Amino acid sequence: MSQNQTLPRFAVLQLSGCAGCEVSLINASEWVEKYQLVYMPLVVSTHTVPEDTEILLVSGGVRNDEDVWNLRRSAEIVDRVVAVGTCAISGGVANLGDRDEVRQMFMAQASRHHLPHLLPKSQPIDAFVDVDLYLPGCPPTPELFMGALTGPENFEASSIVCQECGRKKLKDMRPKHLVGFQQGEVLPDICLINQGYLCVGSSTRGGCRAICTRPGHPCVGCRGPSDAYIEKESQVWFDRVQSVFERLTDIPPEEINAALHSPQLSLFLFQFTDYMNGDRPPRPKEKVL
Amino acid sequence: MTTLRFPLSRIEGHARVEMEIEEGRVVSAQFQAIEMRGFRYFMLGTPAEQMPVIVPRICGVCSTAHHVASVKALEDIYEVEPPVLAKEIRELLLLGQLIQNQATSMFIFTMPDRVGASSIFHMDESEANPEQQLSLAQRSLRVRQVGTNLITLAGGQFIHPIKAIIGGVTSGIKNEPAEKMRVEMTEMLPVVCDLFDAYWEMSMSMRERIGTWGDDQPAYYIASTGRSRPELNSTMIRVLGPDGTERASFPPRLFRTYLEYEETEYSYAGQSSYQGQVMRANSLARMNLALSMGTPLADDYLEKLTHTFGKPAHPILLFDLCRGIELVYAFERSIEMLSKDLDYEDTSLPYTPKDGEGYGLVEAPRGPLIHHYKVKDGLIEDAEFIIPTTHNMLAIERALKVAGERYVSPEGINLELEKAVGRVVRAFDPCIACATQ
Repeated sequence: MSQNQTLPRFAVLQLSGCAGCEVSLINASEWVEKYQLVYMPLVVSTHTVPEDTEILLVSGGVRNDEDVWNLRRSAEIVDRVVAVGTCAISGGVANLGDRDEVRQMFMAQASRHHLPHLLPKSQPIDAFVDVDLYLPGCPPTPELFMGALTGPENFEASSIVCQECGRKKLKDMRPKHLVGFQQGEVLPDICLINQGYLCVGSSTRGGCRAICTRPGHPCVGCRGPSDAYIEKESQVWFDRVQSVFERLTDIPPEEINAALHSPQLSLFLFQFTDYMNGDRPPRPKEKVL
Repeated sequence: MTTLRFPLSRIEGHARVEMEIEEGRVVSAQFQAIEMRGFRYFMLGTPAEQMPVIVPRICGVCSTAHHVASVKALEDIYEVEPPVLAKEIRELLLLGQLIQNQATSMFIFTMPDRVGASSIFHMDESEANPEQQLSLAQRSLRVRQVGTNLITLAGGQFIHPIKAIIGGVTSGIKNEPAEKMRVEMTEMLPVVCDLFDAYWEMSMSMRERIGTWGDDQPAYYIASTGRSRPELNSTMIRVLGPDGTERASFPPRLFRTYLEYEETEYSYAGQSSYQGQVMRANSLARMNLALSMGTPLADDYLEKLTHTFGKPAHPILLFDLCRGIELVYAFERSIEMLSKDLDYEDTSLPYTPKDGEGYGLVEAPRGPLIHHYKVKDGLIEDAEFIIPTTHNMLAIERALKVAGERYVSPEGINLELEKAVGRVVRAFDPCIACATQ
């Protein structure tokens, strides 16, 4: 725990988010021996990122003009910027508000006396600064945080969540419809798709060790697409999910398609794709842990 | 007029304090929440059944409370009552949250104030015995980690849990991992008590140094836990008067009858009151409302608190000590619960989705949390989140003003003021991500 002055220095800038990424980082205690934490308002009483910081982890989306200022000022003085979590990478859950009728209600709140002015939509951080590494997950696990700090070359993971899950895929258990997101008993050890759950672990990038699917909740895709789909448009990923369901179930494709576009999944599924704007190039897979 | 602005750290989220001073007197103290994401708005049109997975993202610190409150609001609409096992797993989930949160508030947010360090990760740089400080910090982080492990065991995912579903939970807890957790917690319980004793001592020394436990007037208290045992998966909200008599007891659907809510121009968080009166939620409220904790060690500590400070107790810094009592309770209660069979068949009941209006209540670490949904054609037509931190907003501002008056005089401003502002705000452990959503 000795915060030795010679250790590499890192800072954590929290923009508009839920602090779940920070809580996860606190759970990853191994960094304490290897890195020096110089800025993280959640746990340290400091108010700016110091000049000689090497690594800047940024969590949360850019939601107001103070976020823009803090982000640009901090990114400028560090060697390496890591976008941490869904919000920093895509704007995250706040993107559900990117609809005309919702935006109107929201912006009616946007300007209060001497408070930071809210932007019309939540933006990913690479809309404002260059990012060296993307660390997807809602939130990334402590193990993933360590991977981001020490360097992706030291992190071993399967390419997809399915391979880390261990539930068995059966050929003769073919549901005809999806069960609701919140319904039904979950059988142990059998693939959730065989049980009619909309699980997208078959093409979601691995590294989380399947922490949701193993206890019985379908993968909602919070880590985004695997390397095979990450540089492609979202439809390619959807087609892949569809083909897995065709192989394992008799659920009508329209039903799958509608469910894939529902909010719970769209929160995450589009985080690396062209869905929102189409005006930014895809993030290269080499830069994604 | 002089305006002092204090940025805040070691609290959840983005907030600051502004104090206006005129001729050596504190004219006003504002607690300003400076972020907002807008969940209330962007939840509109969401399929109701997806809420329990989306709303934990309101806050990564309080995610478990939102997860369970959301499931309960939908169960209220669909008229389904979960089986006993599901309720027990949810209680364990909330106990895990309580451990993680109280350990975070005590050791990561407020212990550095007691030893004069900038953070728990820098405690061995403080002037006091570095070896001892290092050991304190390491043990504190281990205790906190147990809370996270319990959330993971009972909730599936470790930050944004997934195991509570409408009608129950996805699965029970198998005997082997339950036993492993029980052993881990049993071994850790003496460490928890040692740390709390040390924290109590540090708090006494701090009180000697600053000369106060936080002198503010008595207030109303609000909590939703039981009288003889702090059940967190709660059903009724109770209000205690400043004199210690119970003034109200009501289900969540009647909250508007008893509580008033106002927006302010200077903060993205609102403020609520008990019929116009300043109230307090969080640990001190629960201890003032509790007749007992129902577990032996926690009861001893509660008795020590009552013996030392009376009941109801009002000084602000007692919030911090009360968190320690709850930390001990949460360990003891979890150990009890993990000793039972938590892996039998009956984990959930079927339900039929329908439209309507519903309320879900839990006692979150910061106080009673209500989710209120209106569902039409299976979609969310209106979603309201009644956040515990807003119950404390008026109390925080009043306490800040009192602290300000202590350190501001016509001769000047004592530099201790900045530290006092931090101590007062941290005692209430506000959560800004929740308060503004």
